[in-house]
Amino acid sequence: MSNAVARSHEEQLIRPLTAFRPKLFVGSLVTGLLVGLLFYSWGYQIVNDIGVAGINRPVFWGFYITNFVFWIGISHAGTLISAILRVTQAEWRRPVTRCAEAITTFALMIGGLFPLIHLGRPLIFWYMVPIPTGRGIWPNFRSPLMWDIMAITTYLLGSLLYLFLPLIPDMAILRDRAMKVSPRSVRTLFFRVMALGWRGTPQQWHSLEAGIRAMAVIIIPVAVSVHTIVSWDFAMAVQPMWHSTIFGPYFVVGAIYSGVAVLMVAMYLLRRGLGIGEYLSDKVFNNLGLLFLAFALMWGYFTFAEHLTVWYGHEHAEMTVFNQRISGEYAWVFWTMIVTNVVIPLSVLPFPKGRSPLGTAIVGLGVLVGMWIERFLIVVGTLRYPRLDFNVGTYSPTWVEVGILVGSVGLFVFLYFAFVQTTPIVSIWEVREGHHLEVKARMQHLAAAKEEPHV
Amino acid sequence: MSEGRTHAAFESPYDLRDALKRLAADGVSSKDIEIRSSAPLDHDVFPDGAGVHSRMPWMALLGAFGGGTAFFLMVKLTSEAYPLPTGHMAIVALPTAGVITFEGIAIGAIICTVATVLYECGLPALFRSRQGPLDHHLADDHVLLSVRCDEGASEAWTAGALETARD
Repeated sequence: MSNAVARSHEEQLIRPLTAFRPKLFVGSLVTGLLVGLLFYSWGYQIVNDIGVAGINRPVFWGFYITNFVFWIGISHAGTLISAILRVTQAEWRRPVTRCAEAITTFALMIGGLFPLIHLGRPLIFWYMVPIPTGRGIWPNFRSPLMWDIMAITTYLLGSLLYLFLPLIPDMAILRDRAMKVSPRSVRTLFFRVMALGWRGTPQQWHSLEAGIRAMAVIIIPVAVSVHTIVSWDFAMAVQPMWHSTIFGPYFVVGAIYSGVAVLMVAMYLLRRGLGIGEYLSDKVFNNLGLLFLAFALMWGYFTFAEHLTVWYGHEHAEMTVFNQRISGEYAWVFWTMIVTNVVIPLSVLPFPKGRSPLGTAIVGLGVLVGMWIERFLIVVGTLRYPRLDFNVGTYSPTWVEVGILVGSVGLFVFLYFAFVQTTPIVSIWEVREGHHLEVKARMQHLAAAKEEPHV
Repeated sequence: MSEGRTHAAFESPYDLRDALKRLAADGVSSKDIEIRSSAPLDHDVFPDGAGVHSRMPWMALLGAFGGGTAFFLMVKLTSEAYPLPTGHMAIVALPTAGVITFEGIAIGAIICTVATVLYECGLPALFRSRQGPLDHHLADDHVLLSVRCDEGASEAWTAGALETARD
């Protein structure tokens, strides 16, 4: 690819930041309405108290905790995948990393909202902050809920900074561009502030790259710890089908699986909406599709192992929950999950045509539905049938919970649209670096060919 | 004669390498040369090495140690200050304190890493940095070379560097 062609492709990336895009505008408007629904529903609950939600004895964790686990799982899309690809120096990562990292940041923000919503009175959240109460009592650090706060805060901070660090040079590129065209505009001021005065000297590049490498190494165990700790919220309780030693890795695999699913859908929409097929190419979809397939297999394996041991043990309380899943009240939900998470992915993704952008996006949408169902089955399926038989109860969500769920999806897409309109969704400098490396490799190849003696 | 800077923009890092060789041959010290680019340059572009350094891994480790220690002490001291009933089990159980300590290690390493990047890069420098005459070329993936020189000699250096680049 010549420099001129590369520049014209870059224009495609920068255009959403500088030109009016009707599709993005309409999308922002629609999702903005959903954000309104979220805050209206939440506000209604705050005013009328938690009784307006369907959660009640014994199902104290309903849609809100399901959504919490689901969104925290989604957050494993970006930072973790991006970090793994950086650490392994996968060259095809370059166009993927930023759109993946943004998913993490926004999904974490939304996931973090749900415990607040679930509290009913959000202000009592400060009991979870590590400061003493009026009676000198500090938070109970032995509680898995406290671990959640620590892990999610760490991951959110790390993900935000991991997103921001590689953004600085791109903001400097946009600043230098904008200074030439309109030095006094608000947009130019925004780019100037975000670029922090970046100059692009060799020392700055060296330090930035060392920092990004270090962050990538640090963020991988943090990401694993986050969903492991979320799984311990369940596994530390002696409830049927929760108290499992494989819950940690099972949750991590499920989280990455749902994360890759949302990444496939987001990448497909970005490719279609922004016309950036040169960056988010078929090769990228094919490679991520293979990763997607690997996680489909792993998730299927863990689900099988989890259910097999329960069935083989045949313990009464466990079997009550198990039977409801396999052939009882939740059977249709459970088998829908198996179809969307195992049957469809394993029927589509092994084939190169199935790993096309459209193919992976459709499979991704199905997996997202399936993974939400999985979280619902874990949370509600168990709580409906606790160990004490007299305590069995029902759960059906109210419009408030449904409104908050739909609104949270709207908020996620709204934030993503806003991000696309303020920052380049593909890292420009990383793509340029890849281009330079490609040129260098080609030159070395040519030089080697010249030196080879003719026979 | 007052001191000035001569600026040149190159289309590729290889053009820059040729210019740097020429400047080195002319006896220009690497301290007087500033190179800027919109993407990291390969180290073999620099004839005498890039002359860059970073304390990154050590600072991250230091941060990890500090963060881990701080979080462990937070768990230990606060639990002991108001001991909740644990049914004769440890007030500060190492496995549970370990989870919080692990997050402290990570948070310390993250904060120290970012602080080190900002410090070594001299950021933020919102008011210090001024736009150079050729900065807009950075947006087009050109590489900028700026040489500190005497005003009289600057024209010759620029011409020489560009000529080498064109060759």
